[in-house]
Amino acid sequence: MAAMSLLLRAAVAWGARRVPSGVAGGARLPWFAGAARLPGTVAPVRHSSGHGKRMFIIKATSFYDTRFLNLLRFYIFLTGIPAALFITYVNIFIGEAELAEIPEGYIPEYWEYYKHPISRWIARYFLDPPEKNYEKEMALLDVEAKKTELRLMELEARRLMRHRGDGPWYHYETPDKNLIDNSMKSTPDN
Amino acid sequence: MPEDSDWEVYKVPPTRTPVSERTTSVPNPVTFFQTVFSYVIDAPVTFVREWIERQQAKNKFYYYHQKFRRVPDLSECLEGDYLCFFEAEAQWRRDRLVDQEIVEIVRERLGACKQREGPNQFQNCAKEVEQLAQVTKAYQDRYGDLGVHGNARTCLMKQKHRMMEERKAQANASQ
Repeated sequence: MAAMSLLLRAAVAWGARRVPSGVAGGARLPWFAGAARLPGTVAPVRHSSGHGKRMFIIKATSFYDTRFLNLLRFYIFLTGIPAALFITYVNIFIGEAELAEIPEGYIPEYWEYYKHPISRWIARYFLDPPEKNYEKEMALLDVEAKKTELRLMELEARRLMRHRGDGPWYHYETPDKNLIDNSMKSTPDN
Repeated sequence: MPEDSDWEVYKVPPTRTPVSERTTSVPNPVTFFQTVFSYVIDAPVTFVREWIERQQAKNKFYYYHQKFRRVPDLSECLEGDYLCFFEAEAQWRRDRLVDQEIVEIVRERLGACKQREGPNQFQNCAKEVEQLAQVTKAYQDRYGDLGVHGNARTCLMKQKHRMMEERKAQANASQ
């Protein structure tokens, strides 16, 4: 202990000599010098009660860093530990499914194609069967295909009616021929 | 978790090293290390694993590999039949995955053969090498340069071009 106090005194004296070069803290390039390097600037303080020299170590605050890391660990473990315990319980006591050949005449449910019990549970209670998804996509394609077909037919009908003029479309309102005043054409000398 | 490789598939034949007679009275240190390993590591791990398997054997359940029905191919679909296109496309993608797995298995076989034979691999693995060459050539011919947007239609067009080239080559050869 006496040696420790001598070491601390020597380190303080050495640090005090080095203060002009390292003002912010003495921890620059700690891996080069092999000497005893205390973190931050060290200032001796009186009123020590006999065992070793009390030092007042001046360094940058680590309050925010430690607070962040503590909060991070807390919130990760808050749900992480129950999840890990649950998954460990499932893996040990329930276990994964075994691969088997499909028995004769048996159609497996869509969740029985997964191995892990949690995947099976999720597929069974939350996800739709892939057949339903397939049929939904085919229904959508069918509706869109019928729409394109109808649109093309409408365009073709419109083109033909406009061209031939014998259909119900492309009729334009013309005034009644009884309203036409032919008096200016009635004599040839007008 | 990634699949563990199956022990039974590529089983190495048992070694045929002859039993040598002892020439010294010094005991073999390897046996000591083997007993230490079996007591310290092997026995506890085996005990725990067997306990776990006993717990899991109480309620066994199985999973299956899904078998899909074959649907008409893209070449059998009528023009404008988008539902048929969709089903043929889905089937083509499944078939492409299966073919990729087949190539992977043949590659694994070659790797296992090389590992097994060691220095004799160049002579003894010729069949596997030939098989891998054929399989990869076939895969490249069918799915080769379609690119990331390759679908059943582009593959069919590639097949059509291949058949046209073959016919041209035949016509040139027969002239």
